[in-house]
Amino acid sequence: MIDLIIFLSLIALGYGAGTWAEKRHYRSILKREQAMLNLPAVSLKSVDIPDHKIRSAQMVYGSAVISVDYFKRLLAGLRNVFGGRVKSYESLVDRARREALLRMKAMAGDATVIVNVRIETATIGRQSARKNIACLEAMAYGTALTVEE
Amino acid sequence: MKFTPRQTGINVNVTPTHPLKEFAILTGSLIALAVVGYLALGLAVDIIVPRISIDLEKKLAGIIMQRFKTDETPSPANRYLQALVDRLQQNCAPLPYPIIVHVEPSEAVNAAALPGGQMVVFSGLLAEMRSENELAFVLAHELGHYAHRDHLRGLGRALALMTASTVLMGADNSISKMIGQGITLTELRFSRDQETRADEFALETVFCHYGNAAGATDFFSEIPKSGDPGRFGHYFASHPENRRRIDHLVTLIRQRGYPLGATRPLPADFRKIPNTKGS
Repeated sequence: MIDLIIFLSLIALGYGAGTWAEKRHYRSILKREQAMLNLPAVSLKSVDIPDHKIRSAQMVYGSAVISVDYFKRLLAGLRNVFGGRVKSYESLVDRARREALLRMKAMAGDATVIVNVRIETATIGRQSARKNIACLEAMAYGTALTVEE
Repeated sequence: MKFTPRQTGINVNVTPTHPLKEFAILTGSLIALAVVGYLALGLAVDIIVPRISIDLEKKLAGIIMQRFKTDETPSPANRYLQALVDRLQQNCAPLPYPIIVHVEPSEAVNAAALPGGQMVVFSGLLAEMRSENELAFVLAHELGHYAHRDHLRGLGRALALMTASTVLMGADNSISKMIGQGITLTELRFSRDQETRADEFALETVFCHYGNAAGATDFFSEIPKSGDPGRFGHYFASHPENRRRIDHLVTLIRQRGYPLGATRPLPADFRKIPNTKGS
């Protein structure tokens, strides 16, 4: 009985806190994406700018680690039974990637463009001490070019 | 190509399903699966019971009967019961295997038909018996359960699981043992229908053996309600369900015109055995 109560309150906590954190994070992401709209990050290897016009070229990167909450993990566990898209983890990956891109842009400062952008993902602490702390890291990196006016 | 910075309005990477809806669907399907499995096991019992061979039944019995050790030297009461069952079986109640009677020291006023022809009579029941006819009726009632294979149905879903594991993995596998240990043998449940049919079988057997129906309704011992162990009270007159059974027997006796006749006494040494552990 006690176990059940603990289990249910963990689910409720996971759902409540997880939803709140996710909504807040998305609001912040959208706001910052809007603010940094004028710094394009592209996957092209080069842009058509003459070399002498480029004042600096610098590697920039940003990474973000997002953890799963108890409710999302339960949903994913249930998904393991039936198969199909693990919808509850999709928003985690999405948030991690966009946060990483935003941090990369923040590192680029007043650069004109970031070229050759790549995104990597990795899981962290997957089986650490058998506790199975599931969280995900996304890392974005590229070359920030500052062009003379 | 002109670069126009803009934000995409939609997020294609996240499915817009509400997580609670997803949760409801997934847990709902899981519960539905469990319910289907439970119902399927229940149906499987009715399907497999008539198909279990005597050989397989003995194997299953071996798993369940581990706890009941056979008495090295049967007590006089045990020998008497065995002889009575043998006589009933020989003349009036042919069964595909010999029934072995065990007397278990217990206060329970009950008897149980266990798989493999092992009949357990609790000494509490013997203490209540007043005549041979009465005892014969109780034994014939249990024989009726064997004749209708209720003793296998009574194990319920555990039987379906155990048969499956025994057939697939042999008699000596851990799953069967685990299920066998979990079965509470004194709590075998029979449906109202099964009890009625066993009663009818017993009535016919007793009439065939004695030529009368004396003692047929005596076996519901007149024990005060406080001693009634609830729905497992097989032989309690105070139980409302058993009132119905008594009425049914009385009606049958009248309809078929069975004479009542005199009861035969129990042998003198029957009472002398210290039956009950506690007393």
